[in-house]
Amino acid sequence: MNLISFSRVSVRVVVDGRDAPKTLLHDFSLELSERRIGVIGANGSGKSTLLRLLNGLVEPSAGTVTVGGADTVTDVRRVRGNVGFVFTDPLSQLVMPTGREDVELSLRRSVKNSKERAARAESVLDRFGLLHLADQSIYELSGGERQLLALAAVLAVNPGVLVLDEPSTLLDLRNRELLRRTLAGLDQQVIMSTHDLDLALDMDRVLVVESGRIVFDGGAAEGVALYRALCAASLGELPHESAPR
Amino acid sequence: MRGHGFLIANYVRGDSVIHRTPLWLKFLVVVACGTASFLIVDWAVSLAIFAVMCGLFLLSGAGVRRLLRAIWMVAPILLVIGLFQWWQLGGPTAARIVVNILVCVVAASVLTATTPVQDLLDGVVSLAKPFRRLGADPERFALTIAVMLRSIPFIAGAFSDVRDSARARGLERNPRALVLPVFITTVAYARQTGDALAARGLGEAEEIPEKS
Repeated sequence: MNLISFSRVSVRVVVDGRDAPKTLLHDFSLELSERRIGVIGANGSGKSTLLRLLNGLVEPSAGTVTVGGADTVTDVRRVRGNVGFVFTDPLSQLVMPTGREDVELSLRRSVKNSKERAARAESVLDRFGLLHLADQSIYELSGGERQLLALAAVLAVNPGVLVLDEPSTLLDLRNRELLRRTLAGLDQQVIMSTHDLDLALDMDRVLVVESGRIVFDGGAAEGVALYRALCAASLGELPHESAPR
Repeated sequence: MRGHGFLIANYVRGDSVIHRTPLWLKFLVVVACGTASFLIVDWAVSLAIFAVMCGLFLLSGAGVRRLLRAIWMVAPILLVIGLFQWWQLGGPTAARIVVNILVCVVAASVLTATTPVQDLLDGVVSLAKPFRRLGADPERFALTIAVMLRSIPFIAGAFSDVRDSARARGLERNPRALVLPVFITTVAYARQTGDALAARGLGEAEEIPEKS
């Protein structure tokens, strides 16, 4: 497994109309080496920012992030070759009109020969049980099929680390289960943010993020229990009149 | 988001003469059609070329439905252009301009319907190779085409969605309710696409091995 290291990292952004920058993630240090790592927390807590640090989509305002020894700012090319990223909405990730073409696009950098590229794409799609959908428009696929396709396109280049930002949010129960099984069978180190607490319970280690701070780092069961307690506490603070009827 | 229409046809697998025609020749035909649209002055000649291009499209086996769909997608724009040109320059000129645009649309459709996108991108990379001397990355040219092919149907779909939302709220006559959300959606989409490409390591400059 790759060693992922966050050293004194914080992320701040300038927001229009505010004098001081807004802090998305407060100063923290972490080392991650487990095979399955979950990140849970409320919307806007900083989960996505934390994940985006991992392949340089967000640069830290202070501190350093390294993946397998490569700095995500100064060595971003190497990092992106090693860290695959799957977004919540596969439609924003799939660039080409069909699955086959999208997987081939992923392979363009690494496989220059077009016949070899086509064969590799076919093999990747076959591995994920998507070969029969390879030539269909991405708009004709179900949400689960699209998400699997996005996953296949990312895994086509065989990254060492797979980062998934709420991959099951748009999926129904069946597709969620399908995704869960697929993820369980991967060799890659997986780091995933999710609101699906069943999925979070499958993880070896869970981080709970609350208002830009990592408030828990430990086992999945304890992390999920703490997150439930935090949610319950925040609901308790709401006046009953404001609750939806 | 709803299914998207597309101005030009997607690739259709096949083994027709058109499929087997070299990419450079198909590309030349598209360029020739585009150039001819500036040179032809007789609408009857335009119509004849249009008929030939439709014949080539059908010969590829892509089907009448795809052909009609490609034409249908541009019909509203052509209607506006045609009426305006008729008013300004008269019937024959309006007909020539409209048919010339159709020739370009069908010629592009022949190219895309009979050429796998990856082959198209490989062709773009080959064409752009001379620019490497100027520091350009040919793969970026290909990626730009890929993103363009993907973005047009997305924007068309975004417009359909926003129009439906506006109708549901009784705002279909309010241009701001149509244009602003499409604009915002498109900018958000551009950012998401940029992130997705960056995350996949696509679009980054290729490493050129140092000479020893």
